[in-house]
Amino acid sequence: SIQPPEKPLQAEEWNRLRESFRSPEIFEEVMFNSMVRCNSPIDVAKSLLTHVAKSKGDIAYNLLIKYLALCVQQGQTSEIRDTYDIMKIRFRILESGAYNLLIRGLSNSDQWRMALTLLEEVKKIMIPSRTNYESCIKAASRHQEMNLAFELYHEMLAKDLVPTLDVLQAFFDFSRGMKGAELQKELFGILLYLRDNQIYPHKTFMRSIKLWFESIPGGNWRGHLTNIKDSGQCPVCNHQLEDSDLTEEEYNNLRERIIRDVIHGTDTFRKTSPQEFEAFQTFVENRLPFDIVIDGLNVSHIKPRKMQCENLFDAVNCLAKENARLLVLGRKHMLINSSNWKRGIMKEMQNKADFFFAENISEDDAFLLYATLQSGKHCKFVTRDFLRDHKACLADSLTRHLFRKWQRGHQIVFSPSVEGKRINFLPAFCYDCVVQTTGDTWHIPYKDTFEEKYSYRVPRKWLCIQQK
Amino acid sequence: MQSANVLLKKIVRSSVLPFAAQHGMKKDLFPLSRTLSLSFCLKQDNSCNPSEKLDLDAWKKVMRSGLQDEVSETVSERKELSTLAAAREVLEMWRLAGRSVPENISEEQLKTFLECPSKSAKKKYLKYLHLKELHKKNDKRKMDEKRERRLETEERASKTDETKRNSFVCLWANCMDRTYGWRAAQSMIFGQPLVFDMSYEKDMSVREVANTVRQIVLSEGCNRRSVDPFHIHFCNFKGDSLYHKEFVKHYREAWGKLLITVTDQCYTDVFPKDKLIYLTADSPKVMKTFDHDKIYIVGSMVDRSIKTGVSLARAKRLGLETAALPLEKYLLWNTGAKNLTLDQMMHILLTLKDTGDWKAALEFVPKRKYYGFVSKPVHELKKNLNLINTLKLGKRQEEVRKQFAKNYSKKLTQK
Repeated sequence: SIQPPEKPLQAEEWNRLRESFRSPEIFEEVMFNSMVRCNSPIDVAKSLLTHVAKSKGDIAYNLLIKYLALCVQQGQTSEIRDTYDIMKIRFRILESGAYNLLIRGLSNSDQWRMALTLLEEVKKIMIPSRTNYESCIKAASRHQEMNLAFELYHEMLAKDLVPTLDVLQAFFDFSRGMKGAELQKELFGILLYLRDNQIYPHKTFMRSIKLWFESIPGGNWRGHLTNIKDSGQCPVCNHQLEDSDLTEEEYNNLRERIIRDVIHGTDTFRKTSPQEFEAFQTFVENRLPFDIVIDGLNVSHIKPRKMQCENLFDAVNCLAKENARLLVLGRKHMLINSSNWKRGIMKEMQNKADFFFAENISEDDAFLLYATLQSGKHCKFVTRDFLRDHKACLADSLTRHLFRKWQRGHQIVFSPSVEGKRINFLPAFCYDCVVQTTGDTWHIPYKDTFEEKYSYRVPRKWLCIQQK
Repeated sequence: MQSANVLLKKIVRSSVLPFAAQHGMKKDLFPLSRTLSLSFCLKQDNSCNPSEKLDLDAWKKVMRSGLQDEVSETVSERKELSTLAAAREVLEMWRLAGRSVPENISEEQLKTFLECPSKSAKKKYLKYLHLKELHKKNDKRKMDEKRERRLETEERASKTDETKRNSFVCLWANCMDRTYGWRAAQSMIFGQPLVFDMSYEKDMSVREVANTVRQIVLSEGCNRRSVDPFHIHFCNFKGDSLYHKEFVKHYREAWGKLLITVTDQCYTDVFPKDKLIYLTADSPKVMKTFDHDKIYIVGSMVDRSIKTGVSLARAKRLGLETAALPLEKYLLWNTGAKNLTLDQMMHILLTLKDTGDWKAALEFVPKRKYYGFVSKPVHELKKNLNLINTLKLGKRQEEVRKQFAKNYSKKLTQK
């Protein structure tokens, strides 16, 4: 749009520029925007402010904010302070945008304590944003005031703000080589926070964790990067990782919640009908327990060039080893002889597995979850679906975490790497992919890249830390 | 009462303050401005270090001068501010910062704002109020312009002194109203019933209910103006509901005189079950023709937060027949949900009733939602598409395309 000048201009020159602009009434605003974008020298902005102040006798709040943004961008601490003083004189209160800029700007300077006072000021009118806290926490830990930093961190958690990975990493970075049992406890607390919320650190964060562990004076911690074996054993320390089995209480809790929130929800008729669900319940009770529950329609689409019933047939054959008891869930339309569903093949499959056919307008996924949970902890299920919409039906985050944990350990997925004609499945994990500790060991799964594209993918790489 | 006074004082002060400051200062500043000397300067070479003449921090002096006394007063008063007044102040600052915030906000709206559960909800609500305000302002401006133009023409007309030729015109609107009323009355006796199911209040937010009622008001309007109106039934209508409140807001005293049937009974109690058909986009059955002997039910629900299967669940519970409009059969769908607004449904149903022509009826589907009408059966279109693709891309692509067409037509027959 408009290019800001390189040198400060005289009033006359600003006037000329303003008049040549197509809508002079927003000239200053547009000019400041492009100054921020081009990171213009601060003097240019000052000359425009001076021009505005002299011609209008006042400078509008939004211009001051834009000027502030430019100062913050360039780390002009004294200017930030001056602007703050002026704003305080001129306006009774400031709003969140100004505070965000001020806190960010000052926390990066030697006047970082001023950012803390500003944070207190913000608290009087609203809940500070998580970036406000982030700036202050980073500033405090940068100056080795770890107690203060943790105080702010706990305050932030108490306000239900979610800390960024960046802040968490900063704690590890700035605590490196520091002594103190209290500090160590706090940092272990952060690792347990990652565990509880099923967060995986990225590679650089993992390095910070490793370096911190190894820097603890007298701690004798050693970290190694490794891949966990399929059996769930760590190749470095031979420690067996914990499995993703839920406790009896958690399991029952999850099952009840699935029935209540996912199957019934606000209205049982939305996904099924009470008669149908009852019929399904008695069907399952009479045939329990199953070893594997299969989402028939989902599996039948694995290879798009094959007939759907052939796909399902291959899958059933592949899974029906060692007398495993199978349950295949489908819909009634699969029973009508059609080009994709041959009656003969369907008959043959029904000898190898139990089948339940839901109404064509019912949701078979809900049945899948119910049948698997009802069969017990050993039972696995097969679908390529990520079940995110069902997870979303669960009311609270705690149950959602339980669901994720259970899903990780019990979902068998189609293996995409095999390009051949045969259908192959990846077995469910027999260990849980989550930050875990035994006291003298820590195992931390991490993501290879900073921006992991798929949230559902669990990392295969681990950091193993053990105390010698 | 006292706090109200304080509040009033605040508002007056805050709106006056910048104005006063501006004017007060301009006077003081005048000797400072150097317009004369500058214009002289410009004639000379500009590159002779202009920054020397520029005091870059002059703006700070301007901003600091003459305001101190105001501040000392305000700081001491600040502690007494109620949360409402404080919120009002924050909003004012946001407005100054250039955010989408309304200029005027009522006490009630301010309370709603404070009750919003999250920051983003607050932001959304403010933006909504802001846009509403803008629309209102624009409408008012247009009205004023129109009035001015009318006055002008009237003036001109009175000058030319043209005699009024027909008094017929003045009666037109009144006359039409009566005709419509007559037709609606007829439909109350002989017309085909059309049911609005008013049992979705708990599935909607306050704004969604307001939107629903607006859509129904529009529907009722276009029904009244049609040649052969439906006999509209509001079923499951509770007297103390939000629906009722909103209807009264829209119709005022006309609410009691509407030629429609309003009942708190369910449609299954009013009509024989086998005659009812619940219209819902989630229905697996597709409507083929409009049946003049059936009674169609439309769910009075606006769903901004994708709750699928709510109305289908209701029909399933009561064991009613369901149907969806044959949108896929007649239109090449582009984007957007298949659920239509209530007034669009009304237009479509009225057209179907009068002509039975699907093409004419589906003209009322918003144009942005589809590419065009399907002129030939879908499978023929796909065949052509295949041919083009074979010529363009070779054989492998064709295979994929075929598979797609197969699946696609299957989806059509299943749904």
